[in-house]
Amino acid sequence: MKSTESHWLAAISLALIAFAAGTSQASPPRYGGTLHVKLRTASASLDPRQWTPGALATASNEKLASLVYDRLVTLDDYGRFQPALATEWTHDAANRNWRFKMRGGVRFSDGSLFTPADAVAALQSTLGKPFEISAGENAVNIRSSRPAPDLVERLASGRNFVFRSLPDGTLLGTGPFSVVESIDGAPSDLNSNAIKPAHMKFQANENCWAGRPFVDFVEVTLGEPALRQLFDLQIGKADIAEIAPDLVRKARQEGFRLWSSEPETLVALRFDDALTAPASDQLREALWLALDRDTMANVLLQREAQPADALLPHWLTGYAFLFESPMNLERARQLRAAFPSAVAGVAQPLRLYVDTPGDLYKLMGERVAVNARQANLLVQVALPGSANASALSAVSGGLHLFAWHYDSLSPREELEEFVKQLIQSGDLPANAADPEQLFLQEHRLLEERRVLPLVFLPGYVGVRTNVRNWNASVWGDWRLADVWLEPDEASAAKTGAGSSRRSSSARNPGAKP
Amino acid sequence: MAPRGGASVQSSAEILKQKRMRRVFLGALLLLGVWVAVHCRQLFVFADSETPMKETVRKLADRIAGIPGLHGALRLDWHPDEKWSEGEATHWLDTLQEEFDRHALQMSEEAAAVPLTVYAVVTPTQVVLTAKTRVGERDEVRIVAVPRTSLPPVELHVAPVRLERQLIYESAERILDASSLWNGSEGGLAVLLYKNFEVLALRVDAKGEVRQSVTLGVADLKPVRDPHAAIAPHGDQVTVQLWGQACDFSWVSPAEAKCHAEKAPAIGKSVWRIDTVLASPCDEANWAISQPGSDPTVGDVLHLVPDGATQGGSADVPSEFPGPVLSVNAGQNTSSALVVARNLRTGNYEVYRITLACGD
Repeated sequence: MKSTESHWLAAISLALIAFAAGTSQASPPRYGGTLHVKLRTASASLDPRQWTPGALATASNEKLASLVYDRLVTLDDYGRFQPALATEWTHDAANRNWRFKMRGGVRFSDGSLFTPADAVAALQSTLGKPFEISAGENAVNIRSSRPAPDLVERLASGRNFVFRSLPDGTLLGTGPFSVVESIDGAPSDLNSNAIKPAHMKFQANENCWAGRPFVDFVEVTLGEPALRQLFDLQIGKADIAEIAPDLVRKARQEGFRLWSSEPETLVALRFDDALTAPASDQLREALWLALDRDTMANVLLQREAQPADALLPHWLTGYAFLFESPMNLERARQLRAAFPSAVAGVAQPLRLYVDTPGDLYKLMGERVAVNARQANLLVQVALPGSANASALSAVSGGLHLFAWHYDSLSPREELEEFVKQLIQSGDLPANAADPEQLFLQEHRLLEERRVLPLVFLPGYVGVRTNVRNWNASVWGDWRLADVWLEPDEASAAKTGAGSSRRSSSARNPGAKP
Repeated sequence: MAPRGGASVQSSAEILKQKRMRRVFLGALLLLGVWVAVHCRQLFVFADSETPMKETVRKLADRIAGIPGLHGALRLDWHPDEKWSEGEATHWLDTLQEEFDRHALQMSEEAAAVPLTVYAVVTPTQVVLTAKTRVGERDEVRIVAVPRTSLPPVELHVAPVRLERQLIYESAERILDASSLWNGSEGGLAVLLYKNFEVLALRVDAKGEVRQSVTLGVADLKPVRDPHAAIAPHGDQVTVQLWGQACDFSWVSPAEAKCHAEKAPAIGKSVWRIDTVLASPCDEANWAISQPGSDPTVGDVLHLVPDGATQGGSADVPSEFPGPVLSVNAGQNTSSALVVARNLRTGNYEVYRITLACGD
């Protein structure tokens, strides 16, 4: 694992160095133009209250929400929390009582003044227990029933944006952009089998407290096929596009400017709670021993993923190397040989429901089935939406392949949400903010073998060379308000749809010929 | 009985002796005071930047020393964060060894000794130290963490470089910016002048001769006392960014220059002085050029520091200019940049090429 990790890190470092070299020619920032962004998710929600922690869609939602909303604090690349809507903050020695002083003179996109009450209302709906939030004089007070040394990490990440909810359900933000257009995906007029992708358009907030963003507009297209996104990047119809992990190698070979985050998604197996048949502990153990994570990461995902031995990634906790998942087919077969025939996977196949749509996850499910067979375990893959999946879902008990996206910069919050959403095994102890306690909790969960990690996936992004000051954080914050667009010869040479599409940058035609 | 006078004489001698001793004592006390003051200051300064790191390492050593049943020699297997420089990793290692010694942990390099694996990992907010060892049949893990911000600034290990400076163009008129016309080799430069409240773009060849002059007829350009602008050539096309205006023209058909109002990015000059990064020709390091000073009446010193490090560190490479630096524009050759400065002795505006070269 160590050597794979080194290769992987080396690849990221090279990419970053190449990236730095590509952007090292300093030129003054340019205002204007439209930034075209393509996201893989088919739909997006800008209401943080509706987001499901860990869901893949939440990652896209968060990227879009950061265009519209602000947070109380942000985290920079040097580990420093930076003031945003809160200008300063203090806490007591026990880390239970926090006070955040609010920035004055900040306005929402409709011109109304931001108040501490807005922050209280928003955070009450997103922070959840054990926090009590109240407004003070130009301040927000947050009280926790247990020590919360990780509160600023929580506020700087996840769904903890500040917004104002209007009676009609509209949410207003103070961020660098506001939404001017949102069109849901619909069947295409030309081809009833095709889907016209959803589309969102954001306009620069001229009066943003942190300064007007450089680009005039951000246009986001959602849910186009992965190959189409790559093609759009190539021909200049997209400036920034998410790249599916299984297309990263192709993108590299074709010389795309690629950026990758630290691993932001865990792909793992989860046993149903209903699966409590006799010898299920041994079944879990046998499957755990049979899984070949290295092949999944290095062959199936062409070295664009890391084998996962932990629930939380190393870059977030710093201790993930302590967990090991050695493949041991011999031992797996021995365990299997001792199973009574009533155990799922022996006479009757163990059903593996692939909960996350996409070819990649289907392939991983099939790989799990192959690994299981090598240990003489029968596993039958059921794909989402397929006939056999709906038939099988009526039968209780089984295995699920799922993807979990890391949303929080607080390892404790991440593990808490993971446990809450997937394992339902109760709260973590109050002292779990201590890294050693957190490790012990994670260790306990892994030992139960109810969740079997498979691989960690980074986020991959293709960025056209005309996008300047691309300075995304390693945890996946794209910081689009800080990028500007340079004129590029490729797009200047283009005609037709490309050039007419860019005519919106009337403010600065030089930015996008 | 001794006469009182005798006693008195004897007493005076004693007093003299005592006075001498007191002086010696006071002198010694003074010296001791000075020594303590000096050393306390040193300790204080040391403690100021080192305490959180030392405290964290001490906490880890405490936790390791407290592992039940841990006996015998331990062999340290040290895994520093991959992003750390060798110097930084060594500094942490020295501190670890010091604290292990202080906690009477018996460290050894013998292969037979029980491994004590220590990892240091930098997460987005913390440095996490994890120690793992084996006692009998069980693994023992101890983890401590310290906020990254409480640690001393990172010193990056970089190959020695020096900054070479060459004057390549000068003018009595105000030079707003200069940019390299790079076409595979040095092809001269584009210079932006502010002359009698008009903006001119000059194409200057590699010998310093003006080959072309383009006057940009910018309507509604507000006169300012502190004009800052940028010129960015891309082949024959040139983009000029002024305060509240932007212009595009071509060297081939300069009469068709088009200018238009543009939202001023920000008041002041910080907009033009964005971070400039040069690539070292000696290794893979990048060097950032510090922001120039803001006082137009004094000479400037540009500092080159390893990208990511802070100015004033041991790897700081300074370069003096004869007056304020007005703009810094990275060339297309990634190891050089053009610097516009006003020579306070002559009153002229000068363009320098600064280049990173290997060696001290």
